[in-house]
Amino acid sequence: MVGIALNTLLMIVVAIAIPGVINRTRATLAGRKGLPFVQHLRNARLLLRKGSVYSTTTTALFRIVPAVYLGAAIVAMLFMPVADLYPLISFEGDVICFAYTLALARVAIILAAMDTGSSFEGMGAAREALYGALIEPALMIGFATLAMFCGYTSFADIFAHEQSFNAQITIVMFLIAYLFITIAFVESGRVPVDDPRTHLELTMIHEVMCLDYSGIDMGMIHIAGWLKTACFSMIAANAIAATCCFHWWLAAPLAILLTGLSIGFVESTQARNKLVRNTTFIVTISALAALIFFIGYLLQSDINI
Amino acid sequence: MFYLLSLLVLALLVGSIFLAPLRSKVWVAFGFVAIAAIAVAAPSIGVLAGAEDIVLAREIPSMLGMGSLSIDPLSAIFLLIIAIAGVATMLYSHGYVGHYLTKKSSAHISLHYTALATLILSMMLVVMADGGFLFLFAWELMTIASFILILFDAERAEVLRAALSYLIMMHVGFIFLVAGFAGLESISNDTSFAALAHCFGQGKNLAIFILFLLGFGMKAGIFPMHVWLPEAHPAAPSHISAIMSGVMIKTGVYGILRVVSHMSAPEQIHVVGVIILAIGVVTGLWGVILAAMQNDVKRLLAYSSIENIGVIFIGLGIATLANASGNTAIMTLALCGALMHTINHSLFKSLLFFGAGNIYSQMHTTHLDRFGGVAKHMPVTAILFLLATMAICALPPLNGFVGEFLIYIGMLGSVRDGINTLYAAGGLMALALIGGIVVLAFTKLYSTVFLGSPRHHHVAESEEVDNLRIAAMAIPALGIVAIGLFPQYALRMIERVVGTLGGSQSALIVSGLTSTLWKISLTAILLIIIIALLYTIKHRAQRSRTISQGPTWGCGFTSPNIHMQYTGESFSEGLQSIATSLTQNTVEGRAVGKSEIFPSSHNYNVRHKDKIDRLLAEWWVELLRIINKRMMSLRTGRINNYILFALLFLIAIVILSLFNLI
Repeated sequence: MVGIALNTLLMIVVAIAIPGVINRTRATLAGRKGLPFVQHLRNARLLLRKGSVYSTTTTALFRIVPAVYLGAAIVAMLFMPVADLYPLISFEGDVICFAYTLALARVAIILAAMDTGSSFEGMGAAREALYGALIEPALMIGFATLAMFCGYTSFADIFAHEQSFNAQITIVMFLIAYLFITIAFVESGRVPVDDPRTHLELTMIHEVMCLDYSGIDMGMIHIAGWLKTACFSMIAANAIAATCCFHWWLAAPLAILLTGLSIGFVESTQARNKLVRNTTFIVTISALAALIFFIGYLLQSDINI
Repeated sequence: MFYLLSLLVLALLVGSIFLAPLRSKVWVAFGFVAIAAIAVAAPSIGVLAGAEDIVLAREIPSMLGMGSLSIDPLSAIFLLIIAIAGVATMLYSHGYVGHYLTKKSSAHISLHYTALATLILSMMLVVMADGGFLFLFAWELMTIASFILILFDAERAEVLRAALSYLIMMHVGFIFLVAGFAGLESISNDTSFAALAHCFGQGKNLAIFILFLLGFGMKAGIFPMHVWLPEAHPAAPSHISAIMSGVMIKTGVYGILRVVSHMSAPEQIHVVGVIILAIGVVTGLWGVILAAMQNDVKRLLAYSSIENIGVIFIGLGIATLANASGNTAIMTLALCGALMHTINHSLFKSLLFFGAGNIYSQMHTTHLDRFGGVAKHMPVTAILFLLATMAICALPPLNGFVGEFLIYIGMLGSVRDGINTLYAAGGLMALALIGGIVVLAFTKLYSTVFLGSPRHHHVAESEEVDNLRIAAMAIPALGIVAIGLFPQYALRMIERVVGTLGGSQSALIVSGLTSTLWKISLTAILLIIIIALLYTIKHRAQRSRTISQGPTWGCGFTSPNIHMQYTGESFSEGLQSIATSLTQNTVEGRAVGKSEIFPSSHNYNVRHKDKIDRLLAEWWVELLRIINKRMMSLRTGRINNYILFALLFLIAIVILSLFNLI
């Protein structure tokens, strides 16, 4: 019981800390003074206190969607274990439930964007739908690789059981961690796929879908975004922690630093892709995931190459 | 005796519908269907609850030995699907056909209702018949009844064309089935499905399986025999599309399940499993990619039916492969998933076609880019359609998720246990991609039709349909929500079916599965509670804030208009750029050129046609035309040539008989 509460609390801490680490990393690398660590929390608090403007084109769906988006992200977070701690919800095959709960969030936000009748938001929605479709195989085959190696199909069991530490597992787990960090880049709309700081609506993906949201709705969407990033980041951190020292006090900071530093580093050093390049980029991730699975399969079946 | 009885029922059906007054014809037909539905649903529930198989009629004499009608768990589950969808369709048809009562002749309406009732009754016969003549008889009756139903709007040329191509393709499939049964007869001296066990026991009889696969696959719409579906559905009235897509194509799945259930040799089952899985992957991907590119509501739904057949086949393939390896736990999971998805698809696809019927009867078009903002004018239809859209995208907490979840964990379990790892991983990736593109296809459909601003003045003139149609739509909607929230009870229904197909009914596996589904149920309820809670908190908080309304933010552009909205075509543009090689695009009009600074009015219409359509239809037609041309050159019109032909014929006969060839 205490474990579950600690687990949920840690997930929330990770979710809150990652955007802060990203901001600080970017500021340090650019040699700026930068935003304070908690600036995103202040922004969110401000948004939650504000009033809202709704477009006259929209229907009731538009007002329900932020609740669905955040609700789905919260439920997805409840599946995620922090290393040896236990999550609130866990059953055989919950990895699938996790993926489809996030799909619910995606469908909700796409429909809300289309509800405004804006051409810009339509653009974002169409891109989100396509990229979401192409990243899905990577996610599933990533889970399949974990299932093949650990012998379980739920997050808690995959990560909770003591592994026999050998070279094969270490190789595959590091690859898996890399895979899920890349997926986190795509799912949370970061460079090189999407740039949350861009000022031009024509090139936005995630940001442009929430153009017509304001106040409390916008705040909810931001919070949901943090939670989503935290989930993928936690999978990567768990995978790495599983190879050496498998405890929550290692996995939680690892999740924060791993994603925070890598996103911050990539955003400071790389330009975003041209939009036409994004499909190639995402299909490559899926291909990479299939490759990781195959490597895992070969290592598992002890084939001498 | 049986034939006399069925003739009597048919005569009663035709007589009472034709004699009934125009407005009550629907209720007469409804009465017949409702009685039949109750008559089959009650014993079916009994059988699923654990009663013995019920034999309705035994030793019916036919051309190919004796036939009988019986209900076993596999029939029972399909009977339930047919009964529920049948009743909903009859109820819905009242409002839909109501528009045509003054436009069409009384005989026309009578014929439509007779055919509809016959279709539903014949489908019931199909799943109860034990094979042979009786089965083929019911199968053919089903085809002819559905042909008449597609022809409802026979004045339109494309309807006639679609119905004829349907009839031809179904009969090609029928020939395969006849050949399959003939082969069965020659090997086992019996044409019932039960004889298949003996036939497959004889060793390699894969040819028989392939014949049945082709025959049933034609009805189910597996790749590349799916081309009739996207033609027939836009042509048929919506309630007919609903029953054809929701239920009739499932008789193909039923047939294949029947055939596979009689196999016993592991090597054989393994080969069959690989074939079914491969078909499932290709059918699913092809269906969903084409669905995402369509710009016609009903064509999109038709392609999505093909995709769902693919998903069912993926589940079936994994189950069959697991069966070959002797892993009953995985087999049970995947088979439950395939069966569950069959039930689920019949629910949400009927609902989607009913919804399409609602908007068609108000706006008289099914072209996606003519709608927009329909939700404001038809709110109930919009809500029910949204429910079905979310269910078909397999989102929790609705029923579509449960079926796909079971198939997924079947595959994950396969990978985990190290049996058929690569096949399962392939199926997993395919299903994940299918799931992703379904989201694209259906968010496109829903948002261009129901959301945004109206693109055409028809939308502003539309209003909500009558309550009876809403009531008819509520039947599948209830099923969607009930199975989604309480899948553990739905599992009880299909538990026995798995047993008859060779899956394990062992208490351990089933109880493990039930406890998983319990947790899914709890998660679904938790999800709903959290969302409701968040919405309430938000709503309360907003009471004390200033909430204002204004136009949609135009990103600095001051005069946005509704024609700038994203259309269905532009929504799937990204996918088209990847998958352009699968389709043949026909373009009408001209797009706005990049060099036009002040563009004038343009008309631009693009249609993405299936390349397979061309391969199957045009290629054959071309071949026939060439053969015909050669033959026609023999027709010279001179009497001496014809006498020469007769002489050549006689000489040929003499020569052949000399060599004892005839």
